[in-house]
Amino acid sequence: MSVIEKAADITASSIGLQKAEERETLLDLANVSLSFGGVKAINNISFDIKRGEVRAIIGPNGAGKTSMLNVINGFYQPQEGVITFRGSQRRSMKPHLAVSHGIARTFQNVALFKGMSTLDNIMAGRTTRMKRNMFWQILYYGPAQREEIAHRRKVEEIIDFLEIAHIRSTPVGKLPYGLQKRVELARALAMEPDLLLLDEPMAGMNLEEKEDMSRFIIDVNEQLGTTIALIEHDIGVVMDLSDRVVVLDYGRKIADGSPEEVQKNQDVIDAYLGVSH
Amino acid sequence: MFYRVSGQFKTSYESDMALFPVKQDAILLAFILALFYVAFPMMASEFTYKALLVPVLIYALAAMGLNILTGYAGQLSLGTAGFMGVGAYACYKITSIFPEVNIVVALLLSGCFSAAVGVAFGLPSLRIKGFYLAIATLAAQFFLVWLFEKWAWLYNFNASGAIEVKGHEFFGLVITGPNAAPITQYYFVLVCVTVVSFAMINITRGRFGRVWKAVRDMDIAAELVGINLMRAKLSAFAVSSYVVGIAGALLVFFWKGAAEPNLFDIPLSFKVLFIAIIGGLGSIIGNFLGALLIVALPVLLNLLPGVLGLEINSATLEHINVMIVGALIVFFLIVEPHGLARLWALIREKLIIWPFPH
Repeated sequence: MSVIEKAADITASSIGLQKAEERETLLDLANVSLSFGGVKAINNISFDIKRGEVRAIIGPNGAGKTSMLNVINGFYQPQEGVITFRGSQRRSMKPHLAVSHGIARTFQNVALFKGMSTLDNIMAGRTTRMKRNMFWQILYYGPAQREEIAHRRKVEEIIDFLEIAHIRSTPVGKLPYGLQKRVELARALAMEPDLLLLDEPMAGMNLEEKEDMSRFIIDVNEQLGTTIALIEHDIGVVMDLSDRVVVLDYGRKIADGSPEEVQKNQDVIDAYLGVSH
Repeated sequence: MFYRVSGQFKTSYESDMALFPVKQDAILLAFILALFYVAFPMMASEFTYKALLVPVLIYALAAMGLNILTGYAGQLSLGTAGFMGVGAYACYKITSIFPEVNIVVALLLSGCFSAAVGVAFGLPSLRIKGFYLAIATLAAQFFLVWLFEKWAWLYNFNASGAIEVKGHEFFGLVITGPNAAPITQYYFVLVCVTVVSFAMINITRGRFGRVWKAVRDMDIAAELVGINLMRAKLSAFAVSSYVVGIAGALLVFFWKGAAEPNLFDIPLSFKVLFIAIIGGLGSIIGNFLGALLIVALPVLLNLLPGVLGLEINSATLEHINVMIVGALIVFFLIVEPHGLARLWALIREKLIIWPFPH
C-alpha cells in the first residue's frame, strides 16, 4: 500500500470515528449475556449505537448476530446485562412493545404476511398507531375511515420512497424475492422507528438488487435520519454502508470500530479465514 | 365487456378504498339484494321460506362467524355448533326471564354470552395452534352439548328436555313461535344477516382485519410489528362467537321453533365448517356461496324430478342427491382449492378483460 493511500485511509477512518463520537448514544448494551441451556449464544457483549449512524454487526455463521438483534427488540430476554434505549434501562421487554418503543426490524428469511397485498402488509406496520376501537371499525364510515386515510397517505409516501407503487395491490406471496425484501423494509419503515434492525437485507440477492437495496438503506439513513443496525455477510456492502462495525465470533465481541480498522484487525481475519494451530 | 373497468379513475384514497371500487360490483350486489328483498318474497311459498331461504341465510351467517376465526385469524375451530347453542339457549333464557324484552335486544345480548364463552374456550389458542387447537375447541363442543342436556335450568325444567320458542311480538308483528308468518320471519332474518354482513365486511377491511390476517399468516412477524397476539386472537374468538351465537339464536327462534341439545352436536359444527371451507376461507361472500351449495342445492335437487315429471322413489332420490352434491364438492375443491369465493374472483378478473385475452 502506498503512503498516500495509507494516509487517505487513516484520515477517512478518523473522520468516521469523530462523526460517530459527536452523536448521542441511542442504544447501549452493557455486559449482555444470553444462553440457551448450556449454549452461550451471547457472552458478555457491550457496544453502543449512536443516533443517526449505520452500525453493522458482522461475524461468521453462528456468531450470535441474529440473537443480538433478538435481544435488542425484546424477542429474547438476556440473563445478564443492561440495555439502555433512548435513556431508559431495561433487561426484558415484551416483543410487541418494541414497535411503540421505536424499534422495527426485518427478518433474515422474509417474514411477510403472504396472504395480504403489499399495501395491506405495509398498513399492518401502522397497527400500533391506529386507535379506533371495534365500534368505529364496524361503522367504518366516519372516524375509522378518516384514520385509515391518514395512515394510507403516510404509507403511500413510503411506497413512493421505495419505488414499489406498481406492486401496491399484488399479494406479496406472488412477488419475486428481491421485491419481498423491499416490501419488508417498507413495512418496517411504516412503523417510523428510531432504530431499524436489518437482518441480512441482501441475502440471496443478485448484484443489481443489492445495489438497489444499498441505495435505499443509504436514503433511509440520510433522508429519514433513521439509525440502522445491519447484519450482512457481503463484506463489500458492509464496508461501504456502515459508519462503525462490531464483529462477533462464538458469542464474543472480537472487534469494534470503523470499517477500515476492523478490516485490518488480526482477530477478525483469523475468525473469517481460520488460523492454523 | 360487462365488467369493463376502464374509465373508472380513482382520484382519492377514499375512492380507492371504497367498498366497491368497481361500479359493476355495486350494481351486481344491488341486483342480488333486490332478488332477496323483492323478487323471492313475491314468488316464495311457505316451503321455500322454511326449507330454502331462511336456512341458507342462517347457515351463511354461522359460516361467516366461523370464517372470522378460521379464515381471517387462522384459528381452527370445531366448536361452532356449541357456540351456536350458547346463543340459542341464552336467547331462550333471556326471553323467558324477561318476556317483555324486545327480541332484537335479546338477540344482541345472547351474542354477548356466546362471545364470552368463545373467549373462554379461545384461551388455549394462546399456547397451541392448528390441529391441537381444533381438538381443544372440540372439547368445548362436547362440554357445551353435555351442559345443554344436564343443566335443566337452561330448558326451564321442560319434561322433554327441549326448548320451545313461544310467540314474541316485534312492534305488533308476531315474529316467532307457531303463529308467525314465514314471510315476516324471513324478512327479520334477512335484515339481521344483511346488517351483520356489512358489519363484518367493514371490520375485516380495517385494522382488525389486517391484525387477524397478520396473525394467521405469520404470528412471529405479527408480534414484531406491534400486534399483541393475545388480544388479536381473543378478539377474533369474541367477534366470531358473537356472530355464531346470533346465528344459533336465529336458527332456533326463526327457523326450527324448537331445539333439543343434540341439534347442536358435532355434525352441525362440521356442516358450518364445510360451508366456510367450500365457500372460501378469508372471504365474506364465500359463506353465501358455500351455503347455497351445501344447504340449498340438495333441496333443489330433491324437487327436480317432480318438476321434470320423473317418477323416482324417495330413497333412490336421496342417494342420487348425496352422490351429486358430494361429487360437486370434490369437483369445486379440485378446480379451486381456495373455495367458491376465489373461483368467483377469478371469473370476475376474466370478465373484466373479456373478450380480449390480456
